[in-house]
Amino acid sequence: MSSVVVTKPSAAMLIIDQLAHGNAWRHHALIEKICLGLGGLGVVIGQPGWVTGTLVSCALMAAAVWGARIPFGFLLRVLCIPAGFVVLGALTFLFSVDANGIHFVASGVAAAFTLIGRSFAATVCVCFLALTTPATDLLCGMRRVGLPRDVAEIALLTYRFLFQIAETAATMHAAQAARLGHVTPMRRLRCLGMLVANLLPRAFERARHMEIGLAARNWNGELRVQASAVPVSWWRVAAIVWGWICVLWAGRVMQ
Amino acid sequence: MGLDLCTVGGKGDAVSMIVAEALHYAYPGGGDALAGLSLTVKRGRRLAILGPNGAGKTTLLLHLNGSLRPAQGRVLLDGVEAAYSRTALAAWRRRVGLVLQDADDQLFASSVAEDVSFGPLNLELPPDQVRDRVDAALHAMGISALAEKAPHMLSFGQKKRVAIAGALAMQPEVLLLDEPTAGLDYLGTRQLLEALGALAETTLVFTTHDAGLALAFADEVALFAQGRVIAQGDAQTVLSDANAMKQASLEVPFVARLAARLQGLGLPAQHLRTEEDVLAVLAAHPLAVDQISVSGAV
Ligand SMILES: Nc1ncnc2c1ncn2[C@@H]1O[C@H](COP(=O)(O)OP(=O)(O)OP(=O)(O)O)[C@@H](O)[C@H]1O
Ligand SMILES: [Mg+2]
Repeated sequence: MSSVVVTKPSAAMLIIDQLAHGNAWRHHALIEKICLGLGGLGVVIGQPGWVTGTLVSCALMAAAVWGARIPFGFLLRVLCIPAGFVVLGALTFLFSVDANGIHFVASGVAAAFTLIGRSFAATVCVCFLALTTPATDLLCGMRRVGLPRDVAEIALLTYRFLFQIAETAATMHAAQAARLGHVTPMRRLRCLGMLVANLLPRAFERARHMEIGLAARNWNGELRVQASAVPVSWWRVAAIVWGWICVLWAGRVMQ
Repeated sequence: MGLDLCTVGGKGDAVSMIVAEALHYAYPGGGDALAGLSLTVKRGRRLAILGPNGAGKTTLLLHLNGSLRPAQGRVLLDGVEAAYSRTALAAWRRRVGLVLQDADDQLFASSVAEDVSFGPLNLELPPDQVRDRVDAALHAMGISALAEKAPHMLSFGQKKRVAIAGALAMQPEVLLLDEPTAGLDYLGTRQLLEALGALAETTLVFTTHDAGLALAFADEVALFAQGRVIAQGDAQTVLSDANAMKQASLEVPFVARLAARLQGLGLPAQHLRTEEDVLAVLAAHPLAVDQISVSGAV
């Protein structure tokens, strides 16, 4: 149907979160997305070579863009920073430096391609998960495979607070700007200092209020909620696994 | 466990459900937030609390569900002095729900439906019933479509509705709401009042700065100033009391002033609460319009 609309294009992190909550595959079972994302990662690790890497990257990028309707431009933007590091790393295979200067190393080309193909594919796998699955769903999944309850609850509250604090900081920043707090570098520095100094007590106050709010709903030390159950399509899971097996096989044959 | 709190009526005054007696409270490092405040919440009625900023309205609500403990004075539930042990507090909050002024202080879960399910699950209800309660509460607040959204992606008014749904889903006997309509749009306010109006059995206590809303919706009004109640009684009587209203830095609502005028003209205007009521009287007595304008500005 329609593609995802990004409403508050502030920081990339916030957009990633919005997409994770609003993409077309938001309501597919976690296990299906894990199979796609982590499955791809497994394939890349299991079958070295740039062919496998390329196939996995293409498959997951296509899934993200056509399936989950992640805007292609945004996907590229998210990928470009890690990709930059990968390319820089690969350059070390292609050139060597000695007393006579910089030399091109022909034998390093294959290694460089393999490195780029594999690392980029691994990045795509992780980004695919991050863009299609909210952090809280991932936490929920980890909880099911044995993450202790307390750790999961702290992570959940931290996640919630991160957004509140980010919002508070953004509002304070806007309020300072509205009263000309940022016109000179000196004032900007002062304002930043005040902002940071104010965030901590506010976060504490927030936490205190949150405790009152939770207690009012009979909180007994455990944050239990009723998650909406998403039916797992085992057909899709099987199709994904079969797809990855094909990629593994193709990678082996074509290498 | 906590059965003493759950018996309905029982000994003591059957009408007064929660009684605050001469409460004193000061925040650490602050002056008196409550200075000998006394107030009665009657069963099945709607009590509006009005007063200027800093008068102690929020502080009182936090006392009425045991979130704060008075330095002096006491809170009675059905005539029994409230205790502050863990079990007593749990039983207290089972009966008395609270919605905070800032919804962000209350929402923690990763989706709206999950957040609303938190209270019912703490009541140890079976999963089916929890689901029904969540659906009903979301429907009542007109936010069924937001069920799967993350709280941090909602607008201020939407979060407010989620917070109220979270309390509604617990179906408490008494619901304390701190400025429930502040920040809601016209439709949101109407929906909220409708949803609250449908809770015939539930005792409501809400704070507001909107005297007109209090007149239209509340049975009773308590006026606060400087940590004390300066008047409590029937909504129309208290809100028409120009002296008391002035003490609480409030204005007599337009409808109340108009009603007083109409009554002065000998018209049946004792029970006018909304603009619609006034229009109905004026429609029945067209001549009154001229008389009102002759007798000066309202
Ligand atoms: N956390 C706090 N720490 C210290 N003082 C506080 C705190 N909260 C409130 N106060 C003080 O207690 C008094 C009563 O505050 P309260 O929040 O009950 O007022 P209110 O009637 O709810 O006001 P408003 O209409 O602005 O919500 C005020 O003078 C306020 O400054
Ligand atoms: Mg308040």
